[in-house]
Amino acid sequence: MKILDIALKDLIRSTRSLFLIGMAFAAPLLITALIYFSFGSIASGNVDMPTINVGVVNLDVLPANSLLEAPLGESIRSMFFDESVQSWIHASDYPDEASARGAVNAQEIGVAVIIPASFTEDYLAGNKDTVITILQDPTLSIGPTVVRDMVTSLLDGVAGGGVAFKVLTERSEANGQALDPATIPTFFETYSTWYANFQRAMFHSPDKAALVVKSPAEKGDTGNNVQSMMGMIMSGQLIFFSFFTGAYAMMSILQESEEGTLARLFTTPTNRTTILTGKFLAVLFTVIVQGAVLLTAGRYLFNIRWGETGSFLLSFMGQMFASVGLATLLVSFIKSSKQAGFVFGGALTTLGMISGLFTANIQIAAFDLMGNFTPQGWVLKAWKLSLAGQPASELVVPFLVLTTMGIVMFAVGAMLFRRRFA
Amino acid sequence: MRIIDLALKDLSQVFRDKRSLLFLVAMPIAFTFFMGFAYKSGSDNDASKDTRIPLGWVNNDGNGYVSTQLFEMLSNSDSVRLVELTSDTVDESIRTGEVAGALIVPTGYNKQVSAGNEAPLTLVTDTNSTNGQSLYQILRTSVTKLMSAVEITHLSAETIGKPNDASELNEAFASASQAWSQADSASLVKVEMVVESAPAENWYGDNPYNQASPGILVQFAIMGLVSSGQILVQERKTRTLQRLMSTTMRSWEIVAGHMLAMFGIVFTQIALLVVFGQLALGVNYMNAPLGTLLVSVALSLWIAAMGLLIGTVVKDDSQVILFALMAMFIFSALGGTWFPLEVASGTFAAIGKVMPSAWAMTGYQNILMRGLGLESAWMPTGILLAYAFVFFALAIWRFNKMDV
Repeated sequence: MKILDIALKDLIRSTRSLFLIGMAFAAPLLITALIYFSFGSIASGNVDMPTINVGVVNLDVLPANSLLEAPLGESIRSMFFDESVQSWIHASDYPDEASARGAVNAQEIGVAVIIPASFTEDYLAGNKDTVITILQDPTLSIGPTVVRDMVTSLLDGVAGGGVAFKVLTERSEANGQALDPATIPTFFETYSTWYANFQRAMFHSPDKAALVVKSPAEKGDTGNNVQSMMGMIMSGQLIFFSFFTGAYAMMSILQESEEGTLARLFTTPTNRTTILTGKFLAVLFTVIVQGAVLLTAGRYLFNIRWGETGSFLLSFMGQMFASVGLATLLVSFIKSSKQAGFVFGGALTTLGMISGLFTANIQIAAFDLMGNFTPQGWVLKAWKLSLAGQPASELVVPFLVLTTMGIVMFAVGAMLFRRRFA
Repeated sequence: MRIIDLALKDLSQVFRDKRSLLFLVAMPIAFTFFMGFAYKSGSDNDASKDTRIPLGWVNNDGNGYVSTQLFEMLSNSDSVRLVELTSDTVDESIRTGEVAGALIVPTGYNKQVSAGNEAPLTLVTDTNSTNGQSLYQILRTSVTKLMSAVEITHLSAETIGKPNDASELNEAFASASQAWSQADSASLVKVEMVVESAPAENWYGDNPYNQASPGILVQFAIMGLVSSGQILVQERKTRTLQRLMSTTMRSWEIVAGHMLAMFGIVFTQIALLVVFGQLALGVNYMNAPLGTLLVSVALSLWIAAMGLLIGTVVKDDSQVILFALMAMFIFSALGGTWFPLEVASGTFAAIGKVMPSAWAMTGYQNILMRGLGLESAWMPTGILLAYAFVFFALAIWRFNKMDV
């Protein structure tokens, strides 16, 4: 009963701390929300990408005696002014390369497409030295890649026409047939229509495209790629702040020591194990509540699928044991609450960094390796497996490692506390 | 003079506390290394290494001519290295990193494609990863050429009146595939970074720390408010502020003294990180030293004014930490210090671009990545100063209302 009284008192104290509430709930949710907000529209399927400002310098002219109706440069230029792309591309004409370069420098545009004067003539003549230059702001990557893909795609279409004509000519000759000029326009029109539909499906209708992309762990419950990325990011935040919350909550023992209430508690007929167990329970409960709130918020606010029930529970329990164990160990080394910021900030941030908590959505071999030696690294492994839809049997090893780590750290911390307050 | 005395008192108070050094210097340096390492990890260039992306190949349709042609195209690619797998081993091979993705040819693929029906190939990969995105781009081009060759084969065979002649179809397909292998539209497009006034030997445009260094600098400058913001709280707690108010010092002088100290702390921190970035990480802040100085001063003034505002709003030390952290998270994420705003959604990027932290990033990136000079620093500096003024005015308003 005394254990529960001590635990309850500590819990009440925790709920009164704006700082603890902020760090336990507001901070991880705020970070995840900011990242979710930045990619959220993608997750919902609503394309809300920043507008790409493109400048076009079209110097291309139709060569004399050309069979084409317009120079290729005009086709490239009109692609950026087409109504279908106006919601995400804002295109402007520039008279020459210098003015386009100046506009990129002034950040009026992010990308400029420079089509040289004799592009059509050189292209049709098979001159491989002719190039379309894409000038880009060096701080950008997505916009220039999209523009380059659009230009390459259009050139592929033109090249396809050339390939088609070559094949038709070769096969007609091989079959001893004279190519009827009247069939050529229909032939090209059919191919162009096919190519346009093919590209449209590839870019705009993933379900009808010739190449479909799937996530490796797709088992119907891991959501789309953005949700999967959000799961990784939030698991990193969840782990970091869970360890922080555990440590901060455990600090009540130091605060009580400084305020003198611990000494008074020692004068009562309550043994030290009971006191420490009460405090342990309070920390455990705080970490459970925090985890439950964050996991629920992750599920319903950010649509994160945490995995199968068994895997989810093993990850969560492993995280609890490890965070309470490390909290006990860390606080046992601290002499006063003033040192807490220094120790928590330094130790937990460093452990978090080398365990890959802040780069959970990127696979970095060095952090994977270092994570084998930290509790945070093992918790992250467990959550990654759970998020990937792995069954509970795959999480047994991480869970056992975390439980062992938690017990060892708690035992060492408890021993140090006993010595200090002996 | 009294303003300077007050500022000096604040500075000595902060620098006496060793914990301040952790937040002000050690942590930002560790994080800069960390983030730079994270950005760099994907771009390890070693000429002796096979840098092709490993791609699993799962053929569930035997040796049809279309899938065989695709296999040959990819086998000859300089970008991917094929690893033959079975359907059961795909997920595990991706998870262990043996392959970055796997291309699955479905059963009946050749028959369906030859008949002109839809039969999608499946790429299994993590498109959040750089390798996953690269695989998708590479395969999209290859599949486009492959399907074009199939279409051209049918059109050609129909035009010459042999639509169902297997021999003719095979010959036409071989001819189309051969023609496509020689067509390289990508080589007709050249991409060039627009970089001004940067001699090649001093240019660090591809340095991964060009994003990490200013990003962490801005983030931890805001985080530094934890140290400086606590001074006002301590003064109120110890009644020093009350005593100060009873002297002949005017309110604005007290506020200015504290503001000067906060400016000194933030500016010292930024200066240290700039020097560290320049000397240890090769981030070329000295491309425009005056520009770097202007942006740094304006950034320090804005953050100092915000610190002052936080100091007048909070009630105790822990609230300072909380408010400083919240300010750090909001301004850092929205201002593009964690990731470039270009990758965020339109609304997020639009909001982010007006943030003072985004203007600080623009100021530094103009110098570091765009290679621009002093003139590029005026606009970001002006906007940061305007923000500093607004926050300072709010801080004075709060200070006058404060119950000391």
